[in-house]
Amino acid sequence: MGVLTLACFSSLVGSKSLDFTLKLAKTAADKGHTVNLWLSSNGTMIGKAHQKHLKDYSHAEKPVRELLEKGVQICECEACALARGIQKPEAIEGVQWNAMHWYLAKIYSSDRVLHVGGE
Amino acid sequence: MADIKLAFVIQRPPYKSETSTLGFTHAISYQVVEMLLEDGQNVIPTVCLVGEGVLNLIKDQKAMENYGVTSVESHGKNSLLVDLDMLVCKEDMERFGLAEDRLLDAEDMGADKKLQIVPYAEIQKVLEDSNHLLFF
Amino acid sequence: MKLGVFVNDYKSTVETVERLTAEKLGLIFIQNGVFHAALKENGKPSPLLDKTGNLYALSEDLATRGLTAADVDSRVKVVTYSDVVDLIFNDYEKLAWL
Repeated sequence: MGVLTLACFSSLVGSKSLDFTLKLAKTAADKGHTVNLWLSSNGTMIGKAHQKHLKDYSHAEKPVRELLEKGVQICECEACALARGIQKPEAIEGVQWNAMHWYLAKIYSSDRVLHVGGE
Repeated sequence: MADIKLAFVIQRPPYKSETSTLGFTHAISYQVVEMLLEDGQNVIPTVCLVGEGVLNLIKDQKAMENYGVTSVESHGKNSLLVDLDMLVCKEDMERFGLAEDRLLDAEDMGADKKLQIVPYAEIQKVLEDSNHLLFF
Repeated sequence: MKLGVFVNDYKSTVETVERLTAEKLGLIFIQNGVFHAALKENGKPSPLLDKTGNLYALSEDLATRGLTAADVDSRVKVVTYSDVVDLIFNDYEKLAWL
């Protein structure tokens, strides 16, 4: 089994890149791999709790909580989140907040890295 | 205990999105990654600018004046200031009609590093020598 | 190097993909990248299909866009998320998202 570090910079709403990233993370974790997920830029929207699941929009709170239960480490860029008005008390419990060096440190110990950049 | 090499490949143009800015800032963060690593473990980044990514390097940007945000130029200069190797694709500069004197430098900040304008083949070599590739 | 490229768009990243070379190159078409595997623009398949013999398209993203395996060029293998994870760990040592 290997270590896969993923990053996603795309938004929860308005892009399907984040959906792809979450599905890939789940599949890799289900197959027994260790998975880390770094969220930056618009990807930090994923960490906010109480997302309403409207059918025209992607919804990530449930898959994020499932990934956390599977042991996936999820961390979002604190500056990116704060710039978008997301405060720590509003965050999904278990999602870490840190800075970019968290991502580089996870990469250091990874077998594979998939960096899903922004649009 | 080993070094890992990362290629930060910036291919998006500036300002339409923050993608290129984040390429620079993520590369710069190598400076503090040691806080989360063991002794002797190092991350060695190289920033490569290809395609429309070279447009991030045009100097005299007025982003602060017009939008109140740090310019991509400033992030590029800070990258040189922290001794990042920055390779710029020569063919793409020529394609866009950009002469070297249109590009930023960080001499005024005291940086020793300068942009390295190189054929794409040298950037390809960086990609091959790196452990992981991050495209911005 | 063994490089797996996730081609996630139809037009905007072709230039970068065409430039890349690798000892072993794989193109994994996902999101709107799956149109490379299925469309024949002006009657011609995507030039990316000539880039390598290792071509994959994500079945879920084909289906989302109303495409099926029958629409896909015979050179492209239709894969699942599970297959993609195996490709990541078994076939390619570096990955790129373009």
